[in-house]
Amino acid sequence: MKNSLHGFSVSFGILCLALAGSVAAQSDAARVAALKTRVAAMAKETTQVEDITKIQRIGRSFGYYTDKGFFGEAADLFADGATFQWGNDGIYKGKARIKELLTRQGGGSMKEVAGLPFGRLNLRMQLQPVVTVADDGKTAHARWREWDLLGQYQKEISWGDAIMEDDYVKDSGVWKIAARRYYQNFVSPYGDGGWARLKPVNNGQLSKVGQEFPADGKAEPYPMFPAPYIPPYHYAKGKPTAIQSDAPVTPPKRADDKIGKLEALADAKALALARAHSVRAIENLQAMYGYYIDKGQWAQASQLFSKDGSYEFGQSGVYISPDHVEKALRLMGPKDLEAGQLNNFVMVQPIIHISDDNRTAKARWRSDVLLSRAGKGRWGGGVYENEYVNDNGTWKFSKLHYYVTFWGDYDEGWQAKPFPMDPPSKETPPDQPPTLVYESFPTTQVVPFHYANPVTQEPHKGE
Amino acid sequence: MKHSDSLFTALRCSLLLCTAVLALGSTVARAQTDVELQAIEKDLNDVGTRITRLQDLTDVEIVQDAYGYYVDKAQWRSLAGLFADDATLEIGGKGVFTGKDRVFEYMQTGLGPIGPRKGGLIDHQQFQCLPTIHDDGVTAEARCIAFVMSSGGWGHNYYEDDFVKENGVWKFKKLHGPFNMYSSYKEGWIDHVIVNTFPEKFKPWPDLPPTVIYLTYPSYYAEPFHYVNPVTGKPAPTPSPRAGGEAFGR
Repeated sequence: MKNSLHGFSVSFGILCLALAGSVAAQSDAARVAALKTRVAAMAKETTQVEDITKIQRIGRSFGYYTDKGFFGEAADLFADGATFQWGNDGIYKGKARIKELLTRQGGGSMKEVAGLPFGRLNLRMQLQPVVTVADDGKTAHARWREWDLLGQYQKEISWGDAIMEDDYVKDSGVWKIAARRYYQNFVSPYGDGGWARLKPVNNGQLSKVGQEFPADGKAEPYPMFPAPYIPPYHYAKGKPTAIQSDAPVTPPKRADDKIGKLEALADAKALALARAHSVRAIENLQAMYGYYIDKGQWAQASQLFSKDGSYEFGQSGVYISPDHVEKALRLMGPKDLEAGQLNNFVMVQPIIHISDDNRTAKARWRSDVLLSRAGKGRWGGGVYENEYVNDNGTWKFSKLHYYVTFWGDYDEGWQAKPFPMDPPSKETPPDQPPTLVYESFPTTQVVPFHYANPVTQEPHKGE
Repeated sequence: MKHSDSLFTALRCSLLLCTAVLALGSTVARAQTDVELQAIEKDLNDVGTRITRLQDLTDVEIVQDAYGYYVDKAQWRSLAGLFADDATLEIGGKGVFTGKDRVFEYMQTGLGPIGPRKGGLIDHQQFQCLPTIHDDGVTAEARCIAFVMSSGGWGHNYYEDDFVKENGVWKFKKLHGPFNMYSSYKEGWIDHVIVNTFPEKFKPWPDLPPTVIYLTYPSYYAEPFHYVNPVTGKPAPTPSPRAGGEAFGR
């Protein structure tokens, strides 16, 4: 009996030791292990956001290099064996061929290390990126807009318009362009009505450079302006990850011990990371919206709004909910546009602020507008003050508000022939009247700022 | 009774043993955890620094883009507020203005009175911003474009700007805006383009002469790049003199 009692007490003691010991040690160990996993995941997400900025940097560098005839530098942004599809001319393969293509298209000389001859203008502005980095972090895609000011002094000058779809590859830690599909929309004369009076071209018609410097491979022919055409999107299928960031979270109360302090530090860093990621998601969202508007894809554009999201353009009133937004957008023209219709809304100059809790955001953007219908071209310019909501990790428009600065006739210019804004539609009336009544150019209107002066932090009092 | 005494003693012994072993075990575990926690804290702070750099990229671009919106409406006080006290400004070939007050004077005297003017358009659209945050985390540079749509017509110029982070806030340290092309609307850039400004072209006079003398379109000038090629890691070559060459006076 005694033995058995002793036996009981000893085994009880061991049990107690094992239980108590494991509960205390394991819960700490589990917390530490969870922290480690979390920090590793944060490092991976940080790399992903850095990758977006690195790809933006490559695209913008391309523009700065080609602008000034650094064609070798531009070609060096490509991987060995990379391909460059130039419009309907075909596919050029490898850095050497890409360098010669860019040199010829830019009016440079293969004999010179860099530069352009007197009188040559080759400004190729690289705008509006939508960057998608693959989950494995080894490949990426981007859509870009190129807007060109081209020409030769006292000879001929022209506008250029193109959409690019790029593939990127991370090679020994360095991102490079693996393939570029340059969907030139038009190169139009500056005079004679600009792009609005371009005549239809045959599908697959080669440019002058394409004839003199034949490509290495054929590309699928596509119609150029004035025919309507939508270059394929890399994010057409499934839910685009480019507009995703982290879902909002309420940081839990952490224990007042060493591990708890680190957990709280991780919470703070994770929130900062989520907000930095959200900035890029909102850049992508605004750019994506612009590309849909460009091509008359009203349904796709309206799906970027939250369920009670609102849309307000100039003095046309406020439309609420994606269905009503789509109806409002349809006022710009038929779905996928009609022949001769240009509807370019260039999205530039972002000032993005994410809320402290990563649930909402506000941004100021500018849009230049290049339009045409029935042979008449038009310029536009204005400023967006938009609001966004983080819907479980996907960013959406909760409010889009475009303030028109000016509308102007292409032939005469905005100074000589400005147009007023359209009043609210009678056929498709808005849900609410305009939130602010104002006139566009020649009247000037300071669009209210959602932010204080970013340096002095003083509110804008009107100057 | 005896049995229960002995049970009690045995239990007490095993509990004491349990506590002792636990204490020893947790001391060892704690020391181990402390090492692990220090490693985690370091990793977290390393990631934190990278996250701060990402936000820095955004904040530097905000200063540049805010500048553009202020020029649009001649909001010169707000604009001057974006500059550090000892910052400099050099636009076109006008020379260098030193200090925030002189930035304000350049804008107000040189470009016109404060505030938007009916019938006047001076949209200074900021495109293609390429910021670089330096390793010190408190200095940065950016190459950007201003694409100007104004009452006078078109303008295209670069910026190669320096920024400084003072008390956690990014500001202009140096705004350097060389011109590329200015033209009327009617003709565009085919003829009669407006070439670069120069110190005596309009008041106020600059504090320092231009840092570089160059010709604008139809001549060629390439403002040096503050960054190396993002793929090769090498600086861009000097353009050939036959293809326009270097700026005068560099």
